[in-house]
Order: sequence, then structure tokens, then C-alpha cells
Amino acid sequence: MTVQVLVKPNTYIDSVSLMSLSTKANQIEIVEQAIIAMGTEMNKEVIRNVGLMTPEVESAKTSDLVIIVKAASEELCEGAFDSINDLLTKKKDSSKGKSEVKYSTITSAVNGTPEANLAIIAVNGSYAPREARKALENNLHVMLFSDNVSIEDEIELKTLAQEKGLLMMGPDCGTAIIGNVALCFANAVRKGNIGIVGASGTGSQEVTVRIHEFGGGITQLIGTGGRDLSEEVGGIMMLAGIKALEEDDATKVIVLVSKPPAPSVEEKVLAQIKQCKKPVVVWFVGGNEEKVTQAGGHFAKMSKEAALKAVLLAGADESKLNKRALNLPLIEEVRAKLNPQQKYIRGLFSGGTLCDEAMHIAMEKFDNVYSNIQRDPEYRLKDVRVSQDHTFIDFGDDQFTQGKPHPMIDPSTRIERFIQEAKDPSVGVIVMDFVLGFGAHEDPVGAMLPAIIEAKQAAEDEGRHLEIIGYILGTELDSQNIEGQINKLLASGATHASSSQNAGLLAREFVVKGE
Amino acid sequence: MRFAKSGDGDFIQRIIHHKFHGFVHSTFNRTINIQCLDRGDLYTIACKGIDNAPNTLIIDLEHFEEADIRVNDIVSSGHSVLSIANKMSITMNGVKRWNCKLPKYPSEADVLIMNVSTMKQYIKLHGNNSRIERAFKSSNPFDDEMSRMLHERTQLLVSELQNKRISTAITHATSLIGLGPGLTPAGDDFLVGFFTVLNIENNRYFLYKSFCEEVVLQAKTLTNDISYMALAKAAVGQVRESISDLMEALFRGSEEELLLALDRVLAVGSTSGTDIALGIVAGLEMNK
Repeated sequence: MTVQVLVKPNTYIDSVSLMSLSTKANQIEIVEQAIIAMGTEMNKEVIRNVGLMTPEVESAKTSDLVIIVKAASEELCEGAFDSINDLLTKKKDSSKGKSEVKYSTITSAVNGTPEANLAIIAVNGSYAPREARKALENNLHVMLFSDNVSIEDEIELKTLAQEKGLLMMGPDCGTAIIGNVALCFANAVRKGNIGIVGASGTGSQEVTVRIHEFGGGITQLIGTGGRDLSEEVGGIMMLAGIKALEEDDATKVIVLVSKPPAPSVEEKVLAQIKQCKKPVVVWFVGGNEEKVTQAGGHFAKMSKEAALKAVLLAGADESKLNKRALNLPLIEEVRAKLNPQQKYIRGLFSGGTLCDEAMHIAMEKFDNVYSNIQRDPEYRLKDVRVSQDHTFIDFGDDQFTQGKPHPMIDPSTRIERFIQEAKDPSVGVIVMDFVLGFGAHEDPVGAMLPAIIEAKQAAEDEGRHLEIIGYILGTELDSQNIEGQINKLLASGATHASSSQNAGLLAREFVVKGE
Repeated sequence: MRFAKSGDGDFIQRIIHHKFHGFVHSTFNRTINIQCLDRGDLYTIACKGIDNAPNTLIIDLEHFEEADIRVNDIVSSGHSVLSIANKMSITMNGVKRWNCKLPKYPSEADVLIMNVSTMKQYIKLHGNNSRIERAFKSSNPFDDEMSRMLHERTQLLVSELQNKRISTAITHATSLIGLGPGLTPAGDDFLVGFFTVLNIENNRYFLYKSFCEEVVLQAKTLTNDISYMALAKAAVGQVRESISDLMEALFRGSEEELLLALDRVLAVGSTSGTDIALGIVAGLEMNK
């Protein structure tokens, strides 16, 4: 083993970044042990006690940042320092743009980077199938972000991938974590032993984040695209994903995330679960428990439950987990503040599955739940611009994103709608999600903050209490500083929910009357 | 021109009525520290959303990222305006003055006893992986050794002070300074919480306030400037607003008020808030 030291004189990095950096440094595969700490006398004593003292550490001052790396060889130590330096300068680089090579075709990219094994394709839907086909023909796994790809093309691409033993994630696949690298919209989470196959982007993000919070970690998050479990596509990618994770030694538990599949596809998926040698947790939003249990799967009704079951099956000690129980006194308090006319929930979501989950939670107690993503046509909003009774809106749905960026990037449409809903005297609760992570807005809560403060004040001036629940989907490793986002939310007078599941439950319970 | 929203009364006084000369000591996304030339003290300019604290001014800004403020930029004041090089001017017009005032120890301890018990449970559930009370072994020997030393030294400090062995208590407190990960080491954060309690009027150990000052005399060379300033201020009962609010909630608040105040403290830094809270609990439990 070799120990090498780097001392950065007079370097002050805030504690949150320092801890995050230390965690990430210890996750670098070639690193046996990494220490990143201020060069105080007492820290030097600890370093001495664990046998890593060197003359460079000895001479460090209290204001110096000390980085110690222990690895198998000098060369590996050098490599680790490069990676740690990358982490240190990552933020600066991302704003200025790193030097990069641009290729104009898939073929030239393959020739220029022969070690690459995955292509992310995000071109106009008309050209996307052609590019995806080229990538598959060049033996690259594909993540196809583009939408507006025909179902025929999707079936053809997935069949080709299946023949070649490759992953064809998408079309319309926005979330994946492959080899611990987050692709498109995903969160920075710990590496671990739980694999996910997800047909729902934010649903999969939520499960990864909850697993991370429970102390677990992720091997792979394989996205399938939202149409994969339809009758026509037949779940080709979901089935391939389960198989890939079953064969992956690092994966001990598999989690499936989706809306309920088409009946024939559900049969195929359940049959595969039955044969699978590893435990499979199934969270099909609004799905059927009995069938999953009969197939030997572990059914989860909600997202947090799915994550909890997964970490327990992966070996976590339940007595040591903080399950973040609902704040019951808060429910009583908010109910007392709302007047009898304030009966309705308005859910304004940037994440489709988060919207779906909150909506299903509300549907357990109320019949009159409307949405632009309701599966029952009777309760689908006739005009998405006008809310009706309990209304849940997915702003990421096509009606809102044509010609506009996704609400996780551009929150303006949702802000306008929020202001409109806040004025409605029949509204008791507005519940919203704020998604952090790669690809997402840098300050989603900050963007909504002035509107929240103004709306609360306006409601107060009219003599009513307006309850606003915010759920922030992210981890302490995400670049947006989740702690700061939570603080902003709390400072605005909104209630912070600790999970998507709790956000839905709180919203529902706040407006329950007469119990 | 930026507006100062609120800030430490003495800091504002210096800007308005005296000349302030200094330079930028360190910069972060949401705070910058300024070293004053005549006294060498550190002062902080913080963005909105951060709580009031000794030597700190809160301004109407989300973050400093685009301000291009750099270490060693000259800082000066005149006409109630604080200027940082030619990059930012902050006016004191309309600023709300804040001074830390710790509440008195309650004459009846029933509420406090219940709240301390609740606080301990809440820290266990919601605290941020403090190295002081970590119950599990990690795969990192440095972290484990750090946890062991922090745990041992905090215990020794409390027991020596309880047994009125002041000089050895000072030795154990000093051995915590600069110990721990993070910009403000965990040992320093624990002492900030602990010192806060010792500065509470009417508590059994109030007369040991001088103990804090003795410890701080040793601290200057043992930790970095930023952490030293927090320790030095806590030693004389000057702590950030969220900590003084937590003390008030502990003494007289309902459970809900306590948890709201505690959440704000736990949100400080990465593990700093948890370590401060543990220092407070340790100090209060000495009064049992």
C-alpha cells in the first residue's frame, strides 16, 4: 500500500461540500482510504493514531486542507488525486465548460472513443430512431431521451437490442444510473446492492433517494421509457432489465417501478419475478397486491414502502432506520386552521409519478379527484387550465411541454398556476414537488419562493390559512444543496414533507373534515 | 447597491460610526468572511435565509456566485455603506439590528427536563451522522478513530467539570479543539453548544463562565480562524440566533416549538448543527 499526501494551503471549503467530497473520495474504486480534513493538531493526532502520518501532514497548518490517499500503488494514488481534484473543481468547470470533443455522427464518435459502450440520444424524435439504430449496430447500449418516436420504431429498436444483448432505454427515457453515473435526470446516490428497473422517471428517482436516505445504495437504475409496459411493446426492456440485474453479482435486490402494466405484460413480468432467484420489490402505482404476492414478489403500495422493503431485503437493520413517521400533531393543527370551505387539495407537480402517487393517496379517501393524468376518463380534467375539486396536475405532461422546457428546468408555467390556485377560497392545501439532481433546475425552491410568500400573505389578508406542502426530491450529494432548499422552503412558511409518500399523505389528511 | 436586512448590532455600529478596514478572508457560495485590519476579528456577510449571528450581516442576496468577490479584496466603510473592492456596496439603510441575548435558566425545571429528553431522541432520529455519538463502525479507520476520540474526550470533559476539577476539564476541552471533520471541526461545534449552556444565567455552572474563556485562550492556534471566531464568541455567550432560540424553546417551549427550533440548529452545516446540539444536551444534563 502507498500513502500520498496533498496539502492545499489556506483552503476553506464549507462543511457540507467538504463532507460530500470526503464521501465521494472514499467511493473512488481505486482508493483504499481517503482522508480530507483541516490540518489542525488534533486531526493530525488522529492521522498519527491510524498510522498515516507523513512529514507533509506534520507541517500542515490549521487553515490548510489536508488530503491523504491510501491506494495499492503510487500510480493509483496519483489517479485518485486527479479524481479528487476533479471533484474539487467540478462546480467551477461545469459553469465554464470543460474542453470537449464534438462528433457530428454516431460512427465518428464510436471511432473517436472506442472504449465507450453507451450512447445517449436526445435529438428530434423524427431522427432519433435512425441514430439509435446506428448506435445499437455499433454495439452501444442506448438511452433514448427523445420522445415523439413511433411505437413501431420503439418495438423494432428494442427487438434489435434484445437480439444483440444490449439495453435500449427509451424512447422518452429521462432517468438512469449506470455504473454509478447519473444520466439525464437523476440524483447523486450511494453505490450499493439494489438494482432498479423503472418505467417512471421521477418514481425511480424517488425510490433511489429514499434508498439512499435509509442508508442503502444503488447498483444500476435501468430506465425503460414510459410505453415499455404497453400491450404493443410487451415490456421488452423491463424483462431484459430484470434479467440483467439477476445476472449482476453486485445486485442483491431488484425493485420495479412503473404504472400498472397492460394485463398481458403484467403476466410476463410476474412470471419472470416467479423465476427470479433474487427478491423483487414491485411498486406499480395503483397496482394489485395479490398478484404480485402470488408471484413471490414483494408488493409496495407507495414509494417509501418500496425503498424500505428493498433496504431491509438487502440486509439493513430495521431498528436503526428512521422511517420518518407522519407528524400527527401537525395534521391536527392544520385541520384546525382551515375553514369548512377549504376542502380541496391542489397538487402541482413537475414529476409525473410523484403526481400519480399523491393522486392515488387522495383517491383512497375521496371520490372527486381530477387530473390531466387520470386513467379513468370520467375524472380526467376537461380543460387542464381549470381545476375541479381535488386536482392533481403533472406539468411534465405533453399538454404543458410542447414547445417549452420540462418544468424541472423551467418552472414558469407552474408558478403561474400556483398563483391562480392560491386565490381559490375552496383550496385548503397546495402540494408541490421540487426535484433536485443532475439536469434539474439549480434553485427550484428559490424560483417558487416569492410566489409562496405572496400567496400566503394574500390568503392571510383575506382571513384564511393557506397550507402549502413542499417535497424536495434530492440527496445531500446533489449539487443544489438540499439543506439550503429545505431552509428556503421553511422560511417561506411552507411545510416540508420528508418524502413523496408523506407529501401525499399530509395533503390528504390536512383536508379531511369531521374526523 | 445591496441592502443589509439585519445584522449584529455592534458590527452595524462599527460600519456606521467608525471606519471599517479589512480584506476578504474566505469566500463561500452563501457567505463571505472579512478580516478586520485593526483587531484581526472575522466578520461575515451572509445571504438571506441564513440566521443572525455574532459579527454577521445578512444582506438581500441569494448567493455570491456572480459577485466575483475574491480572497484579499479590500473592504472599507463610509457613509453607512460597506464596500467590497468595487464589486459590491451594502447600505445600512433600514437594517434591523440584532443582539444575542440568551434566556435565563428556568426556576422550574419540569419543562426543561421533558424537552431535553425529547431533544435527545430527536437528535438520534434526525441528527446528521455526528462523529461524537456514532453508534456504528465505518469502513474508514480514520473516521472510527475520530469518533472514538471525540466520544471519549467529550465524556471526560463533562465528568471533570461535574467533579469541579477545572484544570483537567480545561485540558480535555482543549483537546477537543480542532478535532473532527468539516470546516468547523466537530469538537469545536460541541464546545459552542456546551459554552452556550455555561453562559446561561442562573444555571448551576454559570460561575464557570471563566472556564470557557480559559479554553478559548488556548484555541487560537488549535483551529482555523472561522471556527475560532465562533468559539470565542460562544465563550462569552454570543451565539447564532437559531441557538438562542433553541435555548428559549428548551426552557419554556412546547414540544412543537422545541422541534422547530431544533430543526433549524440541526440544519447548520453538514454535521455542525448536530454537534452543537449534542454540546447543549451535555451542558444541560450536568445541571441534573
